[in-house]
Amino acid sequence: MRKRSDKTLGESLRDHGLSRRGFLKLCAATASLMALPPSMAPAIAAALEQARRPSVIWLSFQECTGCTESLTRAHAPTLEDLILDFISLDYHHTLQAASGEAAEAARLQAMDENRGQYLVIVDGSIPGPDANPGFSTVAGHSNYSILMETVEHAAAVIAVGTCAAFGGLPQARPNPTGAMSVMDLVRDKPVINVPGCPPIPMVITGVIAHYLVFGRLPELDGYGRPLAFYGQSIHDRCYRRPFYDKGLFAESFDDEGAKQGWCLYRLGCKGPTTYNACATMKWNDGTSWPVEAGHPCLGCSEPQFWDAGGFYEPVSVPLTLGPATLLGAGAAGAVVGGGLAALSRKKGRDAAATRQPVTVDELEQKL
Amino acid sequence: MSELTLERGLAALRAEIDAPTAAFFSSCVHCGLCAQACPFYLETGDPKYTPILKLEPLRRVWENEFTLWGRIKGLLGLQKKVTDEMLAEWEELVYDSCSLCGRCSVVCPVGNDLYAMIRKTREGMVQSGHAPEGLISASVRAITTGSPMGLQWKTLAVQIQHVESSSGLTVPVDREGAEYLVLLSSMEIINFPEYLEAITKIFDHAGISWTLSTQCFEATNAGIQIGNKDIAAELVERVVAAAETLRVSKVISPECGHAYTAIRWEGPNLIGRPYPFRVFHIIEVLDELRAAGRIKTEGKEDDRLSLHDPCNLARKSGVIQQQRNLMALVAENFVDLKEHGKYQWCCGAGGGVSSNERAEELKMAAFKRKKAQIEEVAPERMVTMCATCRTQLEEGLEAFNMEIPVVGLTEMIAEHLVERD
Repeated sequence: MRKRSDKTLGESLRDHGLSRRGFLKLCAATASLMALPPSMAPAIAAALEQARRPSVIWLSFQECTGCTESLTRAHAPTLEDLILDFISLDYHHTLQAASGEAAEAARLQAMDENRGQYLVIVDGSIPGPDANPGFSTVAGHSNYSILMETVEHAAAVIAVGTCAAFGGLPQARPNPTGAMSVMDLVRDKPVINVPGCPPIPMVITGVIAHYLVFGRLPELDGYGRPLAFYGQSIHDRCYRRPFYDKGLFAESFDDEGAKQGWCLYRLGCKGPTTYNACATMKWNDGTSWPVEAGHPCLGCSEPQFWDAGGFYEPVSVPLTLGPATLLGAGAAGAVVGGGLAALSRKKGRDAAATRQPVTVDELEQKL
Repeated sequence: MSELTLERGLAALRAEIDAPTAAFFSSCVHCGLCAQACPFYLETGDPKYTPILKLEPLRRVWENEFTLWGRIKGLLGLQKKVTDEMLAEWEELVYDSCSLCGRCSVVCPVGNDLYAMIRKTREGMVQSGHAPEGLISASVRAITTGSPMGLQWKTLAVQIQHVESSSGLTVPVDREGAEYLVLLSSMEIINFPEYLEAITKIFDHAGISWTLSTQCFEATNAGIQIGNKDIAAELVERVVAAAETLRVSKVISPECGHAYTAIRWEGPNLIGRPYPFRVFHIIEVLDELRAAGRIKTEGKEDDRLSLHDPCNLARKSGVIQQQRNLMALVAENFVDLKEHGKYQWCCGAGGGVSSNERAEELKMAAFKRKKAQIEEVAPERMVTMCATCRTQLEEGLEAFNMEIPVVGLTEMIAEHLVERD
């Protein structure tokens, strides 16, 4: 008998009694989820029909389980669709029924049977190789050793949530556990970052669906985030944007401006520097999202968002410029500006030294 | 004999350009929020009153002489130079349409201190001979007579006699070693003599040792308003000399907004050394006395009262809660204006606008913002703690036929003191 994961998706879906019509509907939903034109639905259907359900190993490290909680609230496709139809979720701490040695055995078995083919999804950051391994362990093994062992023969790694993607809260100053992100540690495998605190559930499933349909990873931005979901800033897609353009800003959370739905920029909204799909996909099956609920965007899908100044301080420095970029730009600016600044300082000093005091007699002449 | 010229004006502007100024000009994102914060722009609707535009002379000097781009433009003959005509044209923008209230500075999303830069621009305006007559006369009188209104000690002496006969108390004068030196503004001496009487009563009630000085009784600083640090420094020196002669440890600024910021914040920088005393606004002193239980009051005002926060006190100095604590002591039915404290709207008369007759019309236009705020909460009386604000509120409300009396907070506290047995 073939292994469960050897079945094509088409076979698997029919096994679960999904009609042809239902299958195409699912494909259309998947297409729209990935911001593809509806005309792609048949191609997706054809691809999914033939696709093999990949084995997925989900590793949880220094995290709060918020990312898994988010995934369980996915709507299109739902978590059930995802687990039963799209993937073979062979290991997941929170969701699996197995425990103890049986659970760890499932992970090792999946790795062995799907060598080179399986996907590793990570949520949570990892105490780095130089950190005390005891800060976070599973079954007596450090997070770092489990991660490195598991990704060795993986096809790709998906870092779900800001902790896995960028270090997140565990890495916030002073970073007591030496937390590192997946991309800090995994250099020889494709890594996709799906940041957010937590990420939008449909973004998580959408990235997996994209991998299944096209057999490769989606196009990524400079931070390894799929452009389909992280290509536009919150600010550019925000429904409050017209108020920003008119210069109408809420000054406090309960003033008239706030009641009128004016722009939250002055209350610390990080929308202009944050790239995510909240403004278009929203949360809870499109019910609402933070800015619609009256709260400024925290910038949770951006690197170092915990350390990027107060949540209620207006943006003045582009937060997406990393320290290295800023330092580089600063150094270049210093070299260029240095000479001129010295000249300007001299000019200022000379002007101050030769400045003539004003006397009452001089003033009186003007009367 | 030397005179004020364009060259001197440009030199003064050049001397005012420092690192913050350069940073501010290069970080302006042209968002226009400062316009939305300025009563002179909002109430006239004329875009020339946008605060950042008022800085154009200073900005041009910075761009032409301190930036690479400006120098390249200079080589190509593309620089827009600052001319005498330009300064003459800008005189109205820099003096008549700006009360230095600083609201533009607090709303600027990139943190540019526009108010401080307008203060700097005025340095160049004075040196090039482009200052309003009203402010020139006030400055000349302040230096020659000791008061911008030309007031002398004998006038104050008459007021002191009135206070003493009506209160039965002694107003201490030139008392060495007193704790507080009280300074006044000419406006208070002439228009609001009840302020001196109130202080006399409250300090007697609280057992405070204080004094006036015949050497210097006036702390308003026309030098700050016109924007000249030489005159401003000389006026500050007079206060310091008087305080040193009487060996006081604390100095109380008048109920006059700019006098307070001048003596408290700009003073030590102007004279280039720290004071041997501390400076307070009377409201801060009264709130300390209240907190220490040294002010006992009885009865409360029962009509609907609201408060105008002077910009120098609330926005620039953070004195916001103190006046509310004091109001709570004597007012039963207090309602805040919707925008108050740090973000309050200026009355429109500060920063020398009220000393500048030419600006009368603009001053009243700017007041409409305050008027609208007052109408919104419809108080029966307004309370404030700055002589200029108070005069402006009284004149403005009268001009718009609104029968809302304006009272000083200090006087109101004095009226409610528990009588001694």
